[in-house]
Order: sequence, then structure tokens, then C-alpha cells
Amino acid sequence: MKVNTLFFRKSIVAATGLFLCLFLIVHLSANCLLLLPEQAARGMYNAYSTWLRENPLIKVVAYALYLSIIVHVVYALLVTIRNRKAKPVSYAVNHTEANSSWASQNMGLIGLSILIFIVIHLANFWARIKLGLGADVGVDAAGNKDVYEVTYALFHNIYFVLFYSLLMIPLGLHLHHGLKSAFKTLGFYHKRGLEVLARISLIYAAVIAAGFGIIPFVVYFK
Amino acid sequence: MKVTFKIWRQDKPQAKGAFKEYQVDELTEDMSFLEALDHLNERLVLRGEKVIAYEYDCREGICGQCGVFINGRAHGPHPNITTCQLHMRSFKDGDTIVVEPWRANAFPIVKDLIVDRSAFDRIIEQGAYISAKTGTAPEANAILIGKAIADRAMDAAACIGCGACVATCKNSSAALFTAAKINHLNSLPQGKPEAHQRVLDMTAQMEREGFGHCSFTGACEVECPAGISIANIAEMNARQGKAQLLG
Repeated sequence: MKVNTLFFRKSIVAATGLFLCLFLIVHLSANCLLLLPEQAARGMYNAYSTWLRENPLIKVVAYALYLSIIVHVVYALLVTIRNRKAKPVSYAVNHTEANSSWASQNMGLIGLSILIFIVIHLANFWARIKLGLGADVGVDAAGNKDVYEVTYALFHNIYFVLFYSLLMIPLGLHLHHGLKSAFKTLGFYHKRGLEVLARISLIYAAVIAAGFGIIPFVVYFK
Repeated sequence: MKVTFKIWRQDKPQAKGAFKEYQVDELTEDMSFLEALDHLNERLVLRGEKVIAYEYDCREGICGQCGVFINGRAHGPHPNITTCQLHMRSFKDGDTIVVEPWRANAFPIVKDLIVDRSAFDRIIEQGAYISAKTGTAPEANAILIGKAIADRAMDAAACIGCGACVATCKNSSAALFTAAKINHLNSLPQGKPEAHQRVLDMTAQMEREGFGHCSFTGACEVECPAGISIANIAEMNARQGKAQLLG
């Protein structure tokens, strides 16, 4: 059976994208613990992250997650290369704003900014906590790695607060276009369903972007 | 009224083209855009200059021949029309109007504003038909088709193959065109016997012709003179997946 790259590549980007969308819901839910008062937040957040690190099922999910990010990026790149070849000459005048959203026209560029964010985000947390690189991570009263302290220290630097919050704007734009498009790429075409899907995508993107965007400020003002 | 046309001139496929400006007066607001170009060409003939090459046939929005990019939009500033349905009243006196050919790797320029859209014909040849014995037309009600299905097939069949979807798409994707042709036949009982092969063959040709991926920007459905819905592309994706598994 011959695979058609036009469909195969987009399906891969869509499927990995949807998995990442699910992950973001879990990630944001857990981060809401940071909104609790200092003492409760520290205890629960550290206990939760210890549970994550020690759960074998989460280990499998974590590898699926790393793989999804890499495959999503690589296939998006392959898609972009073919798209560029398909339109080698641009128009002298092109009013794309009259027929489509800015985000839909610039998913690659927006995606690149999110990728840069992910690299810095992983360096800030994952590299220190899981790989043990950089400054040592302390232990809290219950004997759990003090991940809360890492977060607290990072978000008392206003530059990181602004970086983490502002980069949620491209994330929101990417999710708004990406979620509904992923379903269409995978063949969801029910007419009324598509209208509902468009609304769900907007709400999902707004909640995820606003949620992740507010938390650094809440921690900063603690 | 008086306008300045800034038009892409290119002698032959391999030549290096460039924009050239033409000031045109004695235009009226009720002239169609093509009539304004005719008017300009008449002036060029009188001056002994080479006329501008552009395509047209029916001049009533049916044939899909007159596609050009006007002021940054396929078929000009209004959604869902052809170039021949655009009138000079859509512009102001003194305007500069930029006219470019469709830009896509799969649509090479032939001359000036004319592009070669035979890539569409080759997609059609791969299966946008049904294999049936010819002869006397069968009785119209021999195959009953529900109104909802007939309407959807008809909406897809409205595609005139003008190429605006490819032209306006940032990826030069032919997804809307191919989807319209596939869904038109595959939703009808006459198209069912060859449904899976049709999807596989037509989409394979779309891939071979060098069109890009669909990013669902939605630009195509806004510029499509027949108003083909982008939901057709999602439907084609579903049919493609099904054909890959079963076909």
C-alpha cells in the first residue's frame, strides 16, 4: 500500500498535536496547585512531582511525550519544506488578512517560538530536576525534591515571569488554529460538529494560554 | 474614470518577468474588469505595443478561465466571484491596481497573466468520472437519491476548476479542488463502485503534481467563486483514510 505524503505527514502532525493538547490539560491542572497558599502549595506540588517521577506508567507517557514533540516538529518541518517548494514565488501584494487568520498563515513561525520556549522551559526545570544538571535541588520537610522552590525562585525573576507569560500568546494562537485543524486533517467533517469544534478550540486555547500565563505572576506576587 | 494598472509581463515560460505600469483613462464604472483590460489592450494595439495576454471564455462566471490575482486577492477584492464578475465600480478613480498571474509551482506561467492549469486536468483524468456503458440515457428516477445527498453532491460539483484555491493558498494546495471532485462522485450511488480507487488515484496525482499540504487557513473557501466549503477537504481526508485501509 503506497502512502500519500500529503495526507500521511499532516496526519502525523495532527495526531502528535492532539496528544500534546491532552498533555497541556494535565500540565495546567497540576500547575494550578501553585495557586494555593505557600505552605499547602509547596507540600502538594512536591508530593505530586515525586509521584510523577516514581510512577512507571508516567515514565512511558513521558517518553511518548518527548517523541511526540520531536515527531511533531520534524514532520511540521517536512510539511513546510514541501509547501515552500509548492509556492516558490510570492505575490507582490497579498491581502491574506481578508481571507484567513494571521495564526493560520504563520503556524510554522509561531511553532518555532513555542519550540524555543520549550527548550528554555526544559532547561529551567527538567534538566535540573530530572537530569540533575546545574544547581542542586533541595529537599522539603516531607523528604520530596523541592520542585516548588525551583519554580518560586525562577518566578521571582521578573524577566522569566514576563518570558513565561508572553510566550503563552503564541501558544494560544497555535492551539486555537491547531486543535480544530487537527480534527479536520484526521477527517472530522460533520457540519454542525465543525462549528462546535471551532468554539471548543477557542475556549481551550484561551483557558490554556491564560492559565499558564497567569501562574508566573501569581507566584511572583506571593 | 482613470486608473493605473501595474501588470505582470512575461514573454514566455522561462523568461524573467517584471511589472509594467499602464495609465488607462476613459474607463466607466460599469465596465467589467476584463472589459477594462480589453480597453487597455486596444490602446496598446493603437500604440503598436504587445498586448497583455490573459484568459477568458464565458464572461459570466461559469467557465473558470479568467483567474488572476488582483490587488492581493484571487479574483479581486470581493469574496466568491470570478474576475469577469468584478466591475470597475469596485475601484476608485486614480487607484493603482496590481494584477499578477496565479503563483504556484504546479501552475507554470505561459505568458503574462496566463498560467498552465493542466495539472487539474491530470487529476481529473485519474478518476473524476464514472465508468458506465454509453448509449441511451437511463431513466432519471431509476436510481433514487435523497435530497440531502443530492444537495451535497451538487454543492461539490459546483467547482469550476478556476484555480483560485491553489492561487490563494500559501502552500498552493489543490485540496479544495480535488476534494470537490472526489466528494461530488463518491457521495452518489453512481460513484460508489469506484469510490476507493478514485480517492487513491486522484490524491496520488495531486501529490505528483507538486501541490502543497492543506493548512486549513480557509482562504480557499473565501476566494472560491462557487463557494465550495472547506469541510469538503476534511471529508476527503476521511475518504482517503478509509480508502487507504480498505481500498
